[in-house]
Amino acid sequence: MPQFNLYQEEFPPSPLQVTWQEFKLNHIAVIGLYCLIFFVVLAVLGPFLAPFDPLQQHIDSLLIPPSWEPSGGIVHLFGTDGLGRDILSRVIYGCRMTFGISILLVLLALLIGVALGAVAGMSRGLRSSFVNHLLDSLMAIPTLLIAIIIIAILGTGLVNSMWAITLALVPKFIHQTRDFVRNEVRKEYVMAAKLDGASKRQLFFNSILPNMGEMLVVQGTFALSIAILDISALGFLNLGAQAPTPELGAMLYKGIEVAYIAPWNIALPGAAIFLMIVSINLVGDGLRSALRSRLLHS
Amino acid sequence: MSLLDIKNLTLEIDVRGGWIKALDKVNLVVNEGQIHALVGESGSGKSIIVKAIVGAIPDRWRITADRMTWRGQDLLTMSVSERRKIIRSDIAVVFQNPMGSLDPTATLGDQLIEIIPSKRIDVPWYKSGKKLRMKIAADLLHRVGIKDHEQCMNSYVHQIANDVCQKYMIAMALASEPKLIIADDPTRGMEITAKTQILKLLSRVNQVREVAVLFVSHDLLAISSMAHNMTVLYCGQTVESGRMSQLRKRALHPYTKALLDSAPSFRKDLPAKSPLASLGGTIPTLQNVPIGCRLGPRCPRARKECVKNPEPRRIHEHYYSCHFPLHWDKE
Amino acid sequence: MGNFVLRQFNLLVLTLFVLSLFSFSLAYLFPGDPLTNLTGIAGSEQADYQLLNDAFHMQGNVLQQYFYYLGALFKGDWGISFSSGLPLTNEISRTLAASIELSTYAFIFSFSLGIPLGFIAGLRHYKITDNVLLSVSVIGYSIPVFWLALIVILLFSLQLGWFPLSGRISLLFDVPLKTGFILFDILLSDLPDKQEAFYDALRHLILPTLSIAIVTTAIVLRITRRSVIETMNSEFIQAAYARGLTSRQVLQHHGIANALIPILPVLTMQFTTLLTNAMIVEIIFSWPGIGNWLIQAIYQRDYPAIRAGMLAVSSLVVILNMSINIAIRLIDPTRGRLEHATI
Repeated sequence: MPQFNLYQEEFPPSPLQVTWQEFKLNHIAVIGLYCLIFFVVLAVLGPFLAPFDPLQQHIDSLLIPPSWEPSGGIVHLFGTDGLGRDILSRVIYGCRMTFGISILLVLLALLIGVALGAVAGMSRGLRSSFVNHLLDSLMAIPTLLIAIIIIAILGTGLVNSMWAITLALVPKFIHQTRDFVRNEVRKEYVMAAKLDGASKRQLFFNSILPNMGEMLVVQGTFALSIAILDISALGFLNLGAQAPTPELGAMLYKGIEVAYIAPWNIALPGAAIFLMIVSINLVGDGLRSALRSRLLHS
Repeated sequence: MSLLDIKNLTLEIDVRGGWIKALDKVNLVVNEGQIHALVGESGSGKSIIVKAIVGAIPDRWRITADRMTWRGQDLLTMSVSERRKIIRSDIAVVFQNPMGSLDPTATLGDQLIEIIPSKRIDVPWYKSGKKLRMKIAADLLHRVGIKDHEQCMNSYVHQIANDVCQKYMIAMALASEPKLIIADDPTRGMEITAKTQILKLLSRVNQVREVAVLFVSHDLLAISSMAHNMTVLYCGQTVESGRMSQLRKRALHPYTKALLDSAPSFRKDLPAKSPLASLGGTIPTLQNVPIGCRLGPRCPRARKECVKNPEPRRIHEHYYSCHFPLHWDKE
Repeated sequence: MGNFVLRQFNLLVLTLFVLSLFSFSLAYLFPGDPLTNLTGIAGSEQADYQLLNDAFHMQGNVLQQYFYYLGALFKGDWGISFSSGLPLTNEISRTLAASIELSTYAFIFSFSLGIPLGFIAGLRHYKITDNVLLSVSVIGYSIPVFWLALIVILLFSLQLGWFPLSGRISLLFDVPLKTGFILFDILLSDLPDKQEAFYDALRHLILPTLSIAIVTTAIVLRITRRSVIETMNSEFIQAAYARGLTSRQVLQHHGIANALIPILPVLTMQFTTLLTNAMIVEIIFSWPGIGNWLIQAIYQRDYPAIRAGMLAVSSLVVILNMSINIAIRLIDPTRGRLEHATI
């Protein structure tokens, strides 16, 4: 705040700026954000960064340890797997695949979930409460179980597992949106718009939706971490991405075979998943507490 | 003898971009057996003073005072547990929001019994004294005008009405037989009959049991008839304090005058259909309070000197902080 | 109150109805002929096929088929597994019990660790203890559970050799099946080396329990911490301090109940997360639980097994959830708040 102010004017920062300021105060969350940006860059620029083709098999160099081990080489920084594929390249491609697909899935699920949730939240009466309660109790079924059932119907494979996870994520978004819309509809500003003659459509798009952005971003980050976990879990269970595809979960699954002699085969892809989820969770937490302290301070 | 004596209490709170003086050199003296009114607009820092007295402010806020004593003992330097002990035995607080200041998961009876100090339970050591506690509790409830004590004690906060809840709070305040009851705007948001009951109850408590009451409110009308002394607060600064009758008759500070004038019933000479007097402008936000006398920009009598903080001056028991007090030019 | 229970019960029946409908339609949703999916017998063997067609009431309309299916469910006839040829009811009750046993121990562990730690973190808000616990918990709930399990196996059973690699109990012991919970079964049995068997089963339990419990502990810690912070900042706690109660009195009489009651539903909901994680971890530890069994069924396209397993797990989760809701409602004194109008 400037010490000397000639005019009695002040420019209070916008809510978004305040949120960013609060977010910046939380150093751990900022580190998480940098990590997240790193993964985004990795996902976008992956093919340019990876030293080898992830599927290329170097027959003469099987199971080379990573370069920090005494017997490791500099050619394959993260070592190679049982078929002589370069693990660094596979991890980079794996991040690209797991991360990129998860973002796609979350966006899709968000779109569907918000649309259905808005309808559920805006509607009244016996039918809506019927559907809502049913949805609530079905929500209790864990996403992974839903995904497994859907895969049992559709068959295994990456695309099918994508559908399965999208469908499994949708109920959460419906639930959140519905609750949010329910709460907002009761508030005065919506009532004021309603009294001005706004239709339900206008109410939702002009009054409620603009206020929902932050909630959606926060929920989206958490859904993203769930999506990454689930997609790699399905890959790991050999229900999702199939063998040669460089997907982190599938790589872990293949790594088990050589786990004892080449532990880096499971340590490195797992660490990549772990780092991804940690950074997403840190950013999500940071956002949440920034929003909370914004409300607290104003 | 004064019970509570506060001199130059300053409280700084941290907001985004720096420290702000929420209270700026506040003086307050409460004498034994008297009703003292603390009056100010909302946002003038009344509730913060109450919190500062009972020590319920966050650790990170800076609090300084030249003097803040309870019957000669310094409240600021003593340890938290000592202070709690004093508050437990001598001071009781009735809060602004009775519903919010009671535990929603415990019955009202449990909370009242918890507050009864064990010195009042005079039973042999092998008895728990539960019966006696129940009796004291019922007695307290009768005293504040709750007839059906059993039902009340068995219910939870959300099951009883707001004004009953406030009476209950007063009963809880009386439980420890305090020397001072701090009533922090106890009648907020109540309709007029409930309000009158609460006010009568407090002034009866004061008369019968010789308990001092620090009555915090913005409602001059309600307290002018019952209070002995009054302190007026504006924006975290004490503006004027003194005997109620004196203040009403001859207010020295422009703000006190404006406050009194704003209530039509205080003005007998008000002609029909004439506009009500009020100060221009609004109370400034804490982020940008004016320097010097904080009333400055709104004061009809402000002059150049008002950018300096006025020292409190005194005529007998009447304190005021103004460079150019009313009635002064004539004398 | 009775009203509430009735409503919840209605909802339960409705949800179970939807689940049964869904599991019924799975026969049609799975790729291939519904009858083949149910029995494993291809259409070529005409005579058998006809017989089975009658047995499953396939010639009737969909409604009749559904009612027949429902009737069979209630009679306890859930079908027969392709791969083992055993009745599914037996298989499911055996594997489900193993899964529940694992989850229950992990649940108890994470609650008894997570809630006290959450209280400590919440009460030391913004201090070093809080920051350390919070950081550890972020790591804890971000670890993919299958990776954690692999690392734990690599470290504790392969490198250090402290704990057995997989399974539920060493093959040397032959514990008769009674409750399905192995620890109780051992205690109830009359094995000559009961104590050693118990010890061995315990050693088998530790690693899987730990790898599931870590994630849930972290989540429980975070939820508790947030609630404690909010409760301790609330007006009535400040008021209790202002009345001169000591910190201990405030925490004991007002803090604990108010911090825990609102989060109980969320906390108990974690049981389903736990069950999912348990299902994954079972595969890694070759724990004979429902997750392991279900995944094997998917690999082998054992459709009746998938169908029945899915129905069993989701019904379990829904019933559990509902009963927890009712139980919480019973102990929560503020339950009436929503039912009574306040002035």
